[in-house]
Amino acid sequence: MIATVYAKPLAFYLLWVVPALPLVGAAVNLFIGRRLGRAAGWLASALMALSFALSAYLTLWLIGTPERLLPHVTRLFDWISVGSFEVGLDLRLDQLSATMILVVTGVGALIHLYAIGYMRDDPRYGRFFAYLNLFVFFMLLLVLGQNFLVLYVGWEGVGLCSYLLIGFWFDKTENANAAKKAFVTTRIGDTAMLIGLALIAVKFGTLDFDRVFGSAAGVLTSGSATLIALLLFAGAVGKSAQVPLHVWLPDAMAGPTPVSALIHAATMVTAGVYLVVRTHVLFEVSGVALTVVLVVGLVTALYAGTCALGQDDIKRVLAYSTVSQLGYMFFAAGMRAYTAAMFMLVAHAFYKALMFLGAGSVIHGMHEEQDMKRMGGLVGRMPVTAITVIVGALALAGTPPLAGFFAKDQILEIASHTGRVWVYVLGTLGSVLSAAYIGRLVFLTFFGRPRSEQAEHAHESTPVMLWPLVVLAAGAAVVGVLNLTPEGRLAGFIEPVVGLVPEGEAGLSAAAISVIGAAIALAVLTLMYLTYGSGRVDWLALRVRLGSIQRLFANGWYVDQAYAALIVAPGKAAAAYAAYVVDVKIIDGAVNGLGGGTRRLAAASRRLQTGLVRNYALAFLAGGVAVLVYVGLRL
Amino acid sequence: MRTPISYFLILSGVLFAIGTVGVLVRRNALLIFMSVELQLNAVNLALVAFSRLHGNLTGQVLAFFSMVVAAAEVVVGLAIIVAVYRRGRTVNVDAARELAG
Repeated sequence: MIATVYAKPLAFYLLWVVPALPLVGAAVNLFIGRRLGRAAGWLASALMALSFALSAYLTLWLIGTPERLLPHVTRLFDWISVGSFEVGLDLRLDQLSATMILVVTGVGALIHLYAIGYMRDDPRYGRFFAYLNLFVFFMLLLVLGQNFLVLYVGWEGVGLCSYLLIGFWFDKTENANAAKKAFVTTRIGDTAMLIGLALIAVKFGTLDFDRVFGSAAGVLTSGSATLIALLLFAGAVGKSAQVPLHVWLPDAMAGPTPVSALIHAATMVTAGVYLVVRTHVLFEVSGVALTVVLVVGLVTALYAGTCALGQDDIKRVLAYSTVSQLGYMFFAAGMRAYTAAMFMLVAHAFYKALMFLGAGSVIHGMHEEQDMKRMGGLVGRMPVTAITVIVGALALAGTPPLAGFFAKDQILEIASHTGRVWVYVLGTLGSVLSAAYIGRLVFLTFFGRPRSEQAEHAHESTPVMLWPLVVLAAGAAVVGVLNLTPEGRLAGFIEPVVGLVPEGEAGLSAAAISVIGAAIALAVLTLMYLTYGSGRVDWLALRVRLGSIQRLFANGWYVDQAYAALIVAPGKAAAAYAAYVVDVKIIDGAVNGLGGGTRRLAAASRRLQTGLVRNYALAFLAGGVAVLVYVGLRL
Repeated sequence: MRTPISYFLILSGVLFAIGTVGVLVRRNALLIFMSVELQLNAVNLALVAFSRLHGNLTGQVLAFFSMVVAAAEVVVGLAIIVAVYRRGRTVNVDAARELAG
C-alpha cells in the first residue's frame, strides 16, 4: 500500500482528459451542434469549466508532489517509430505547462461563457463553439506536448482554428481576406519552425524535450544552436505577431470579439512566448539568439505602441496593444527573465481578455459600431462594462497595485539591474505609450459626451456577458499578488523548469523603478484625461494639426503598404508570369509540341505503309542483303 | 568422281534468285507462292549438298524439317489465297492493299 502511493499518480490517468474534454465538445458541436440549439454554447462552456477544474486539481497535485518525480510524462501511444528514431504522443505536466493550461482553460471557460451571450443571434452558433472548443484542444496539446512534434501539431492546429474563426463571417470579403492573411503570414514563420524541428531531429536523433535539452550543450556548436534557435524563433515571431510578421494580427480583428479575446490576446498569440521559454536551453547555448529575441521584442513593443495610438477602431487599438505587450514578453525572455515573461503572459491574459470582452460588450451595446470617434459618454449607460474595462485599462497601463504594474515593473527592474540601460529606457518609453493608448481608448469610449446616435442609446449587455467581465476584472486586479517580488510565488513555481531570474546590482534601485513606473502611468493617464476625457481640449483639431503623424500611426507606419508593394505585388506578378507564360507557353508548349511532333512524324512515315506486299518483300530482301553484306565485311 | 560442291551451290543460288525475282515481280498470289517454294527448295538443295560434303546427316535432317514445315505452310498459304479470292474475286496481291497508310 505505502509503496504504491507514487507508482501511478492520478495525473497518469487524468492528464489526457484535460485536452480530451474540449475535443469531445468540438466533435459533438460539429456534428449535432445545429440540433442542440442554445445548448451548444452551454455544453462547450461546461466542458471548458470541467477542463479547468481538472487543470486546477492537477496543478494542486503537482504542487504537492516531490520535485524528484517531476516532470510527469504520460505516453498515450507510440506515434512514429522508425529505426532508432521514435516519437510518442507524450503529454508533459510540469510547472510551466500547468501554468499554461490553467490560463488556457480558465480564461477560455470565461470567454466561452461570454460567447453564449455575444453570439446569441448568430445562425452558425453551434459551429462557432465547435471551432472554439477545437481551438482549446489544440492549444492544450501545444502546451502539454512533451516533444517538438506534439507541440507542432498543436501549433498548426491553433493556426487552423485561428483561420476558421477570423473568417467566421466569411460572407464578407474583407473577413475572408483577413483570415487568409493571418494564415499565410503565420505560415512563413511555421515553415521556418518546421525546418528547425527537422534540424533538431537530425542533430539529436530525437524530438523529446528532455533528451534534446539535456544534451544540447554537448551536441550543438554555438553556430548550429543559433540557427536552430532562430528558426524556432521565426515560428514564434509569426504566431505571436512580432515585427516583421505582425501585420496579420490587426486585421484578424475581423473575427468575432470572443475570438479576438481568446485566440488573439490571451492564448494563441502567447504560444510564441511559451515556445521561447520552453526551448530556452537552445537559445542560451546560442546566446546570439537571445539578443535577437530581445531586440525584436523591444522594437515590436515600441512600434506597436505607436500604432495603437493612431487607431480609431477600438479593437485595432487592442490588437496593436497585444502586439506591443507580446513584445514586452519577448524582450523579457531575451534577458533570460523567463519567469517574468511568464508572469507577464498570465497577467496579460487576464487584462487583455478583459479589455477585448469589454470592447465586445461596447460594440454590442453600440449596435456593431467599432469607431471610437462615434462613442463617448458610455460610462453612464454601460456601468458594469465601463468599470471592468477601466480596471483592465489601469492594469494594462501599469497602475499599482494591479497585475500589469507588477509584470512590467519586474521586467524593467531586471533590465536595469542587469545593466541594460537602453533596454530600461526604451521599455519605459513603451510603458508611456501603453498608458497613452489605453487612456485614449478609455476616455474616448466612456467619457465626454456621446458623439453619435448609437452612443446616446447604447444599452448594457446581458448578465451572461457581464459575469465573465467581472471575474476577469477581479483576476486582473489581484493576479499581481502572485509575484510581488522577483522571487515571488509564480516565479518560484516555474523556477524548476526555467531557472532563476537573472540578478544584478546595476542601475536604479527596485523601489525607484517602481515609483518611476507608477508615476509615469498616472501622469500619462492624467494627460490623456485632460486631452480626451475632460472636454477642455479640442482633440479633433489637434488630430488635424498632427495629420501626417496621425496617418503614419493609423496605417501602422505603412508596413502593410510596403509589403504590398515589395512582396505581394512582385509575388502576384511572379504568379501571373508562372501561370500565363511559364505554364501556358513552356509547359503546355512542351506537351503540345510532343503531340504535334508525333503527329507530323506519323504523317510522314505512313507513306512507307503502301499496302503492296511486293514492296514489303523488297524491303525484306534489302534487309537480308544488308545483313549479309555486313556479316561478309566483318569476316 | 564426285560432283564438286560448287555445282550444287551455283544451282541452288540460281534457283533462289529465280524464286526471289518471282516473289518481287509477279502479282498473282499463286505464282508468288510457287516462287517462295522455289526459294525454300533452293535452300534445301544447299543443305543436302553441304550434308554430303561434310559427311554428316544434320543437313539432310534439317532439309526434311524444312519440307515438313513447307508443307504445313502450303496448307495455310493456299487457304489464305482462297479466302482472299472469295473476298475480292481476284488473287492479284496489289489489289489487296486495304492496309495502306
